[in-house]
Amino acid sequence: MPSRPHITVDDLRIGYGTRVLMEHTTFQVERGTIFAILGGSGCGKSSLLRHLIGLELQQAGRIDIDGVGEPSQYEGVPPFGVLFQSGALFSSLTLAENLWLPLNRWTPMRGATAHELVQAKLDLVGLGAFAEYLPGEISGGMKKRAGVARALVLEADLLFFDEPSAGLDPISAVELDQLIITLSRDLGITVVIVTHELPSIFLVADNCIVLDKAAKGIVARGDPRKLRDESEIPFVHAFFTRSSYDVTANPGG
Amino acid sequence: MSVALRADREGGHAILVATGPFDLAHATEVTQAVRDAEASLNGCRSVDVELAQIDRIDGAGAVLLARLLDRLEADGRQASVKGDNPEAARLIALYRERRTVLPAPQIRTKNPLTRIGAVVAHLPDKANDAFDFIGRCAVAVPRAAVTPRSVDWRSLPRLMQEIGADALPVTSAANLVVGIIIGLLGISELGRFGAISYVPELVVVAHFRELGPLVTAIVVAGRSGAGLASKMATMKVSEEIDALRSMGFDPVRWLVLPRCLALAVTVPLLTWVGDLLALVGGLVATVVMTDMTPHAYMEGTLKAITASNLLTGLIKAPFLALAIGLIACGQGLLTRGGAAAVGARTTTAVVLAIFSTIVISALFTLFFALMGA
Repeated sequence: MPSRPHITVDDLRIGYGTRVLMEHTTFQVERGTIFAILGGSGCGKSSLLRHLIGLELQQAGRIDIDGVGEPSQYEGVPPFGVLFQSGALFSSLTLAENLWLPLNRWTPMRGATAHELVQAKLDLVGLGAFAEYLPGEISGGMKKRAGVARALVLEADLLFFDEPSAGLDPISAVELDQLIITLSRDLGITVVIVTHELPSIFLVADNCIVLDKAAKGIVARGDPRKLRDESEIPFVHAFFTRSSYDVTANPGG
Repeated sequence: MSVALRADREGGHAILVATGPFDLAHATEVTQAVRDAEASLNGCRSVDVELAQIDRIDGAGAVLLARLLDRLEADGRQASVKGDNPEAARLIALYRERRTVLPAPQIRTKNPLTRIGAVVAHLPDKANDAFDFIGRCAVAVPRAAVTPRSVDWRSLPRLMQEIGADALPVTSAANLVVGIIIGLLGISELGRFGAISYVPELVVVAHFRELGPLVTAIVVAGRSGAGLASKMATMKVSEEIDALRSMGFDPVRWLVLPRCLALAVTVPLLTWVGDLLALVGGLVATVVMTDMTPHAYMEGTLKAITASNLLTGLIKAPFLALAIGLIACGQGLLTRGGAAAVGARTTTAVVLAIFSTIVISALFTLFFALMGA
């Protein structure tokens, strides 16, 4: 019997005030896969992510995370980890303390056991030697990896990454992509990535949706490599092949 | 099923049979089970951890088992996993493979003596930074005179508004209250000798010469100094200062000079207004608490206001203002890091600015005393 989707989004409408960013948005994310939310700047990728993690309330429709329900209504141990675009580490705390914070809040673990777990997560992302560093003392790529470690510390089986490769050099970006693949393959974690970095998309994503500002929703879905090679939708073709696209000639995407 | 790690021993070999959920929710029980099992392994040369009966495992459980295996191997024993549980085996292998061996623990000591020592050790560097900044500001003045376009003159009116006019209510209120306090103190102390008529002179001398500039400067340091330091620190951490540099601007000329100038102009004006309000405070206190008439108080005040009393206070004010500006801007420009660094630098700037104004005021008083002014 096929397992339930990890995330189900049904006829979602999101926006701010009277402004609708996207509507009639329906998709599912299968458990244990890497799912990418793609689209150009301003199409609402990050807003969709903020709704998926419950920071914003949708105007209509349903978001259902398996075992959690509606994320904006959920209270208790965070059922998913989030890597924000900037890493969002607490600058006054060391990397170890950043990881210890959620552990201290949500588990009874203290002392050596907590230290061991924190150190193991930092080791996992290759930052074991930097546990006592402050975020201001490490590079942008390291901040993002530390953000991943913090997102992992409560053993969530679902991670959301907002533009993980943005602002990173190609080597750091590939290292982070490899880490995402490791997390998904070895730890069985479902990963949802918001990005528009094409190399990253082709390397890591099993499945994706492509959002378009003009269409106010999804214009394509499926394996990104197949979409790149086979899609006949002008916007999708332009997006994956980095070619120019006349938005006025194709207002619907 | 509850968490357990049962040790089955056969001579020098032991099998640790793991049962139950090895996950974050049961990490405390897992830790205890690992500890108990480890204690029962004395004399064992090889240990196998049997994973087949584990109900559920996640990263937390895997880490605790991985570290157990690491410790056993570090003790010179053979340690391995067995049993049909590929997920558990994979997770344990992942955490063992990615373990970082640290050369030495990097623990930030919180020992007060060590911290004091560290602060003292850094003093020469801090003094060097301060002199370097003062030197850069001193060099910036003639350069600004030669190239006036290198200074952001357009911001000057706004800065004078923010630093001066907007601070007027709070500096005025502070000086008024200080005037009342000096008046009340004078009534209480001079009244013992029947010298109430000297209260107006006490208010003038104490406030014009010392307390007026000092109180105004302290209020400005707390209000505008904090604002300047946090603004500059935020600009530094958000790379705006770097952007200025990259476009060929000298941040000292473009940002620091207008702010110091705005302070040097407005603080004496605030001091002057504060002096007037202190006189009002002294008058109110004296008239309400004694039989002295307002007219008599005014006469006593006018007699006490001499050029010496007025100028010794007002001369200090621009120097105190410059100290506040230089410290606030200097601390802001030295900021490194994120949000926490902005807060820390702002706090340091305010503390240093207030302390400096007191020291500078005392030095001026000493100088005037030696000069007989």
